[in-house]
Amino acid sequence: MTRFIPLICTLMLGIAPLAHAHHSGAAFDPDIKVAVDGTVNHVEWTSPHARLYVDSKDGEGNVVTWDFELPSPVTLMRRGWSKSSLPIGANVHVEGIRAREYPTIAVAKKVLNDGKSLFE
Amino acid sequence: MKQLTAVCIFLLAPALGTAQWLDYPTANVPKLEDGSPNLAAPVPRTADGKPDLSGMWYAMEVFHDCVGQTECIAQMGLPMDQRNIGRTLEEGLPFQDWAREVVGRRTARKSQDDPHARCLPPNFPRAYSFPQYVKFVQTPELIVMLHEFNASYRQVFLDGRPLPEEPFPAWNGYSVGHWEGDTLVIESNGFRDELWLDLAGSPLTDEARITERLTRKDYGHLDIEVTVNDPKAYTRPWTVTLHQEIVLNTGMFEEICLENEQDVKLLSP
Repeated sequence: MTRFIPLICTLMLGIAPLAHAHHSGAAFDPDIKVAVDGTVNHVEWTSPHARLYVDSKDGEGNVVTWDFELPSPVTLMRRGWSKSSLPIGANVHVEGIRAREYPTIAVAKKVLNDGKSLFE
Repeated sequence: MKQLTAVCIFLLAPALGTAQWLDYPTANVPKLEDGSPNLAAPVPRTADGKPDLSGMWYAMEVFHDCVGQTECIAQMGLPMDQRNIGRTLEEGLPFQDWAREVVGRRTARKSQDDPHARCLPPNFPRAYSFPQYVKFVQTPELIVMLHEFNASYRQVFLDGRPLPEEPFPAWNGYSVGHWEGDTLVIESNGFRDELWLDLAGSPLTDEARITERLTRKDYGHLDIEVTVNDPKAYTRPWTVTLHQEIVLNTGMFEEICLENEQDVKLLSP
């Protein structure tokens, strides 16, 4: 119920649904799905897409920094995010669709912080 | 419903209390008994008796049916007219042969050649169907349409001037309008060549003449009947109607695409 309320509020206040924009999707392969657990390296709060960089350990314990594309900051703000929603070091679980030719770049489809969904 | 409204206001109270523009309440919204907006209320009128089209508008019909498929995932949540402006035409858009071939190629390349993907302007009438908001500001002699994408604008002159002859080609073209009863009729020419009307790549050429007939049905709804007469790309004029809903209690915010665009570098040639 707690998670429901913000969405209902959003609809009641006439705010439009979440939608990705600007790019065609050609750069990303919908059949290559990724799920990453890690900590926030930093966030770029810019147009046309905010970007979330996540440090995650690979199978050999090396730190890999993922580059996740989020919706625009305006879209995120309308969903209750702010520039400080994900501070450096925060624990995140991110699911997304990978870039066709770049193994650590993806469009995020779901972001959880300490188990709580920020968007999906 | 009242309880839910109260909860929503409570949750957003910090934002409302500090007058954040993100949630700034729209003035003079007609309300139902429970306090929610009455979208079926009568159309507001200007001092000179015309329907007032002022307000923020958004495409009503949004794509969400991507069950069991993967290619369409990137388009989930996009207005349906943005995917294909001719989607409601039984036989599709009446392309000239070269245009049909071009659209096939653009679609096969997953729209990676879309000017929009390179941060170029949200040209009208395609602009009505982007996920960003459009705001109409209406005066007796001019309607300005503001668009969040690249903080761009379009002017529709209501001062009786004729369309220009051989104008400098423009992404939005050049527009004049007049009232026919309660319908605003907009005529446009002077479009730049090789524009896209949707993600599929439906063309708009420099020979196009576009007529829009805008009718505000009630407080919350605006119909835009678009007729495209572009003999270079299509075998005959065609007409579609875009359905818009009013957006309340928020504002227009810039989305400046070139600020940090990082997708073009990921594309193969």
